[in-house]
Amino acid sequence: MAYKNVSDVEKRLTEAGYIPSREIATVIFLAQATQKPVLIEGPAGVGKTELAKAVARSLNREMIRLQCYEGLDEAKALYEWEYAKQLLYTQMVKERINDIIGSTATLTEAVDQIATQEDAFFSDRFIQPRPLLQAISSSKPVVLLLDEVDKSDPEFEAFLLELLSDFQVSIPELGTRKAVRIPFVVLTSNNYRDMSDALKRRCVHLYIDYPARDTEIAIIRLKIPDIEENLCATLVDAIRNIRSLDLKKSPSISETLDWAQSLLALQISELTQEVVSETLNVICKYQADLEKVRKNMDRVIA
Amino acid sequence: MVKLIGQFVSCCRAAGLRVSTSEVLDSLQQMKLINPVDEREFHALLAANFAKSLRELYHFNRLYHLFFHEMRINAEDMEQAADQTEQIKKATDILKKKPHDSSVYDAVVDFLGGNPMPLLAEMRRIQTESDDASAPTRFNLGPLASRLNVLIQINTAATAAQSLIKDDDFQMDSKSRRDLSAHFEERLDAARSMLTYEPRSGNAEARKVKPHEQRLADMGEKAFSSFTRREIEDMREAIDKLVRKLKDIVSRRFAVRDRGNLDVKKTLRASAKYNGVPIDIQFRRKTLRKSRIVTLCDISGSVWAAARFMLNLLYSLQDCFDKVQSFVFIDRLTNVTGVFEEQEISEAIQTVLKAADIHYNAQTDYGETFRNFKSNYMDLLTKKTTLIIVGDGRTNYMHPEDAILGEMRERCRRVIWLTPEPENLWGTGDSEIYSYAHHCHEVRVCRNVNQLVTFIEELVL
Repeated sequence: MAYKNVSDVEKRLTEAGYIPSREIATVIFLAQATQKPVLIEGPAGVGKTELAKAVARSLNREMIRLQCYEGLDEAKALYEWEYAKQLLYTQMVKERINDIIGSTATLTEAVDQIATQEDAFFSDRFIQPRPLLQAISSSKPVVLLLDEVDKSDPEFEAFLLELLSDFQVSIPELGTRKAVRIPFVVLTSNNYRDMSDALKRRCVHLYIDYPARDTEIAIIRLKIPDIEENLCATLVDAIRNIRSLDLKKSPSISETLDWAQSLLALQISELTQEVVSETLNVICKYQADLEKVRKNMDRVIA
Repeated sequence: MVKLIGQFVSCCRAAGLRVSTSEVLDSLQQMKLINPVDEREFHALLAANFAKSLRELYHFNRLYHLFFHEMRINAEDMEQAADQTEQIKKATDILKKKPHDSSVYDAVVDFLGGNPMPLLAEMRRIQTESDDASAPTRFNLGPLASRLNVLIQINTAATAAQSLIKDDDFQMDSKSRRDLSAHFEERLDAARSMLTYEPRSGNAEARKVKPHEQRLADMGEKAFSSFTRREIEDMREAIDKLVRKLKDIVSRRFAVRDRGNLDVKKTLRASAKYNGVPIDIQFRRKTLRKSRIVTLCDISGSVWAAARFMLNLLYSLQDCFDKVQSFVFIDRLTNVTGVFEEQEISEAIQTVLKAADIHYNAQTDYGETFRNFKSNYMDLLTKKTTLIIVGDGRTNYMHPEDAILGEMRERCRRVIWLTPEPENLWGTGDSEIYSYAHHCHEVRVCRNVNQLVTFIEELVL
């Protein structure tokens, strides 16, 4: 069921376990209403992929995910011919070939006769659909997530253009396939490299930053309901202070959640400098960052 | 609404934000779908369509604020605004007619009248223009002077506006006089703040890593001989990265080698297992040739700097080659293959430098080196071998023995000479590079990391 308006998006995403800001809700609504892909950018761990999942849940659609990486090609993303199956079928129908060419007098005729049967071997039966073709040929509308599209090669990006603007793909042997139902496409990017203008032009752009304090508290309380309100608030304050330090990798929401989870497991009810120092490994992923936070502990927590 | 968006778009374009027509059309169509009175939705819509990267987003937000907050009169006193607009128009018309000598003045007056476009365009010109390239020395005075000019024009306009408002010819009651003056003040402040605004180049993510990355990239262009000890250490990091990248490329080549042509013979043989049905398809493997490498490095003076980086790279990529043999020489040849095989690269380089049987004070003798190689190591050179010689080819007027190099060439697949000297110095003084060059398949200048990297890439791939 499609979203009705921006508030509807907000409500249903929250129900699906994702707390969106007004901006996120607006962009998601517009993308759905105009059937355009959304290009989501932002630092690692702010919930880009999670947003796509939540959209799938709230629209009650299946999610098809394609993880992009360097060297990803059409065969892995779109479709592949099943050679083994084709050969196996050839073997099995070998006897029938005599029936087809039995009546022919010359070799040319025989070849012509076989050529008419060609379609039997280049048909849907022998195509192995990969995520993109799956998304396009699915009879139910789906959510298609192209994760970390910036990691893919520029060639693949160019190949995506046809898909994203017209929702169709060309398979040389079978012709052009148009989307049965237009999928909701989400692309995520980590700013690993800049995407081409042509791709950007076809998308609605959304930048997700670290959430505001209240949103973050709400997210923690949603995901980890057992956590105490006080602890949650101090925890978020501490995380926000750590983010203000100039770290190699700032802790994101997923780290905040991990941290809250581990504090809960350790049955800690109050956040002190000692506790922070002991559990820092959960939030800092570099040794240098760890030391930096320890050194500036006074700024993190009073 | 269309007119408003249109104005905003031309402001964006004047300020250097690329907004395409299709994006404008999209945003207008989408406007119907949302509630434009809710500012968060309105802003989100425009941002999603106009600013398509983080860099543009900062820029966009500033323009948005300027256009929709600073330039507009509060919506509450719409009616009052209407007659004020008339007065503003009248006032700016008079201001424009005043004698002036600068186009910037026009821009400022337009800005006062509610059209920020010319001033934005002017500011963008100042921000992006570089100094006159032909000037022998460069200062940042150029942009500064242009800014000063704008400031002067703003002040001229301010004085003119004030005197106009005070002027009795301009019929107005005291309240609207006050309002108009306040309004002009506000806009002039906005104009001044624009003047001091520096565009942020950033991308919060990239900002943290950039200085370092940039430095490494810059170092790629720096000559080996001018590296400091610190930079040599830093360079190792860059080389590590590069090696990882090259290995990735090579491994990808290994990955695709299975996807060659169908190997009918092998497939039939494998089909025997399945009662003659060819289930297991075999492909003709593309065999990759790995080359053997023999390097001869002059380690005197400046040449050594280039040689050490090349050795570093070669040994990091050792598994891409069949075998790497290395020799260093000044006045005679020393086999250092063992040292590099046993020790970690930076240690090995230290050991080589300290090795007892290298005479650092001696003069480079290419002739002796080649004679030495011929009598002891000639059998290392086979059809698979690539011989790399690193040296400046300066023989100190001793016999170059280039004929031996010719013999060596006969035995191996390729001879490549790397020299740290730029081409215009070749053949000057005691340089024998030209007599060596015609025995080599290739002579390359290799002065900085980037050149070295291109060379190694071609060698590996």
